[in-house]
Amino acid sequence: MFAPKINEAMRDMNLAPQETLPNTILAVSNLKKHFGGVRALDGVSFSLARGETHALVGENGAGKSTLIKTLSGAFPFDSGDIVLDGVSYRPSTPHEAKARGVQVVHQEFNLLNHLSVAENISIEAMPRNRFGILDRAEMNRRAQASLNAIGLGEIDVRTSVQSLGIAHRQLIEIARSLQSDSSILILDEPTATLTERETKRLFEIIADIKEKGVTVVFVTHHLDEVFAICDRVTIFRNGETIATELIADTTPENVVRHMVGRELEAERSNSRSIGTAGDVALSTRKLKVAFNPHQDGLDMDVHYGEIVGIAGLVGAGRTEFLRGISAVDPIVSGHVERDGSPVRFRSPRDAISAGIAFVTEDRKEEGLILDMPIAANVSLANMEAVSGAGLMRFGTERRRAKSYEEKLHIKCGSVKDAANSLSGGNQQKVVLAKWLACSPQVLILDEPTRGVDVGAKAEIYGILRNLAREGTALLVVSSELPELMTLCDRILVMANHKIVGSVARADFTEERILKMAYGQNGIEEGTNA
Amino acid sequence: MTSDNRPLEPTPRRALSFRAIINNAGIGLALLALILFFSLTSEFFLTSNNITNILTQITINLILAVGMTFVILIGGIDLSVGSVMAFAAVVAGKAITLPDMGITELVLLACLAGVMTGLICGLLNGVISAFWGLPSFIITLGMLNIARGAALHVSDAKTIYSFPSAFENFGSALIYGVPVVFLVALLITLIAWFVLNWTVFGRLLYGIGNNEEAVRLAGHQVFWLKVAAFTICGATAGIAAVIYMARLSISSPIAGIGFELNAIAAVIIGGTSLAGGRGSVIGTLLGAFIIGVLANGLILIGLNDFMRQMITGVVIIVAVILDYYRAKYSAS
Repeated sequence: MFAPKINEAMRDMNLAPQETLPNTILAVSNLKKHFGGVRALDGVSFSLARGETHALVGENGAGKSTLIKTLSGAFPFDSGDIVLDGVSYRPSTPHEAKARGVQVVHQEFNLLNHLSVAENISIEAMPRNRFGILDRAEMNRRAQASLNAIGLGEIDVRTSVQSLGIAHRQLIEIARSLQSDSSILILDEPTATLTERETKRLFEIIADIKEKGVTVVFVTHHLDEVFAICDRVTIFRNGETIATELIADTTPENVVRHMVGRELEAERSNSRSIGTAGDVALSTRKLKVAFNPHQDGLDMDVHYGEIVGIAGLVGAGRTEFLRGISAVDPIVSGHVERDGSPVRFRSPRDAISAGIAFVTEDRKEEGLILDMPIAANVSLANMEAVSGAGLMRFGTERRRAKSYEEKLHIKCGSVKDAANSLSGGNQQKVVLAKWLACSPQVLILDEPTRGVDVGAKAEIYGILRNLAREGTALLVVSSELPELMTLCDRILVMANHKIVGSVARADFTEERILKMAYGQNGIEEGTNA
Repeated sequence: MTSDNRPLEPTPRRALSFRAIINNAGIGLALLALILFFSLTSEFFLTSNNITNILTQITINLILAVGMTFVILIGGIDLSVGSVMAFAAVVAGKAITLPDMGITELVLLACLAGVMTGLICGLLNGVISAFWGLPSFIITLGMLNIARGAALHVSDAKTIYSFPSAFENFGSALIYGVPVVFLVALLITLIAWFVLNWTVFGRLLYGIGNNEEAVRLAGHQVFWLKVAAFTICGATAGIAAVIYMARLSISSPIAGIGFELNAIAAVIIGGTSLAGGRGSVIGTLLGAFIIGVLANGLILIGLNDFMRQMITGVVIIVAVILDYYRAKYSAS
């Protein structure tokens, strides 16, 4: 713990942490931001004390990233109030945010890969000599100084960013942000790409910055980091701030409970278990995909008539696992088994002929041909059904598309309309229709309801449950735990590219699954992992 | 669900079909306006001799542009067609001037040699760019040089001539004033239209141009589809070579310089998107007509060739600007 002083000060003043402190630098109250029907921020209130380190935590999609983008001027908010240093704050551009002293280190890198480290660090204020020409020596000197300041002196500032590892890039991004005199520094999941050693260094850097009176906002998925370096934590859920707590006064269990909420239990109880599953439809044996750092690979089984969920944090390797199974990306080692016998797929084509359909995470990039008609999208994965001797049978195609339109309640003017005329939920149903048109025995889904409104979500759940009842084996990855708990018979939990646990339906609780996902007590539960 | 009823509104559909009419008819209207303008400003324009002229002049560009449409539809480009045409013409010229063979055999052999030469060049373009996922712009730029060099090498940089007269007659034959070679080009256009609109292959080419990854994940062999598009483009360059020989009675290794740009211009003016996935071969037909009518008409009304070139350039730019708005409106 780096700043017990502030905690003491707050306690001395006898203030609840949520209330505005006298040394408040930033106060956000009742901030709202909607994207169409999606309430990304739905009443966010919290405050930052000068010189504190403040953690923002919450499940994926809870609104942290939206908040940061709002604070950094990437996009405006709809309603609410932000007061920075006693003055109203409504940045319309990132430039304006920086001018007011708010600096963000984004999760995605904003480095110019082909330029040198020095050029990247001083990109915002290149030193010039009196002829207005770039003073390269001065630039390199400044850059080296800034790297020394964060203990990265061993990097040659003249090398191109491209030649550096991902962790170093992250630290350079931080060094760049320290170039400007900011009063608030927001770090969006800075440790996601760092190893333990670099994380430690980052924490030292943060401690240094704090010494200088800079307020640090720390967004992370790792509660142990929150408890290691932060003074206070604000918990987000469904676009709202649930609570702000002093780290000294709370526990990780408490924070998880806030993240999960209580009202979700009710939703779960009215869904029912599908019953016992049949034979094994799909297995992986020591399956290792690219990016997986572990040698041993992943083992799991999915039975006919069963819905198996995979829970885990972003970066736990869930999507990569699915892409490996369906041969979208190559497998490094290990193999997939269908009906108990090993299979080797060279392309998605082979997986499809083995009865495996894969609904990808990104329907716009990988799922749909947006400019083409709904009917064309529905038949894309099974052209044989709508053609003869290589010639299209447009009547058959229209009829088939219409039958899926009715079966899946796709709301469209006509199946001849372009797919991009549909709302997110209906687009997702078109993707589902495309794969159902291949009559798959194994259906793999990655985030099946991302960007889908509540009503369509429920319909998609119904479709998937029906499929399971008819004997299809389903494997679902979702970042929304309530979704998995509603749908699945069994949930596998992945953390850091490993299956760390398997939870049977009877034992579903969000706390239990989240704890495993966060790497706390990662014990194998159940037998079927 | 009530929050999800956006597509039930009737207006977007009507607007869409209205736009569709504008998109397709727009090019045709522009062509009609051009024809009207030139027939009012030049008394020679609408004479049967001049129409025959225009159709003859359009032929080669139309054939090349039809092949080019396949490549541009999948988001590629083929800069090599002009050179490949010259190479194919030289190879066919060598074949047709072989001694000691019957005329029929010679002509058949020449046609086969020309088309196969083009086809193989296209196949190479496709295989190389699709296998390594390299931009076809660069690969076909390389092929542009290779084919030109090969044409010069094979022919010793000499023009080949004295073809069988039956072959030359075919090049200048007319049916009711319509050149037979133009009818061949029209037939190729119709076949291409059929393939692109009525076959699974055509559907998948459009799909690749729009979203290659979605097509791959749906289990299709994107590699071979792309190779096929380039091969078709190469084959049309071979066909164009044979027609060129028949029409001019020579095979020149320096023929076809800059033809690729005219073909691309016809495709783009015809409303096919350079980004791929959107366009039609009927548009390409109209695009080739617009270029041909402009070239002919501008000279008839007394502008010199330099002016003609400038105006054609303006038309290309205007066509691309129109395409920008077309894309913008169809996206919203």
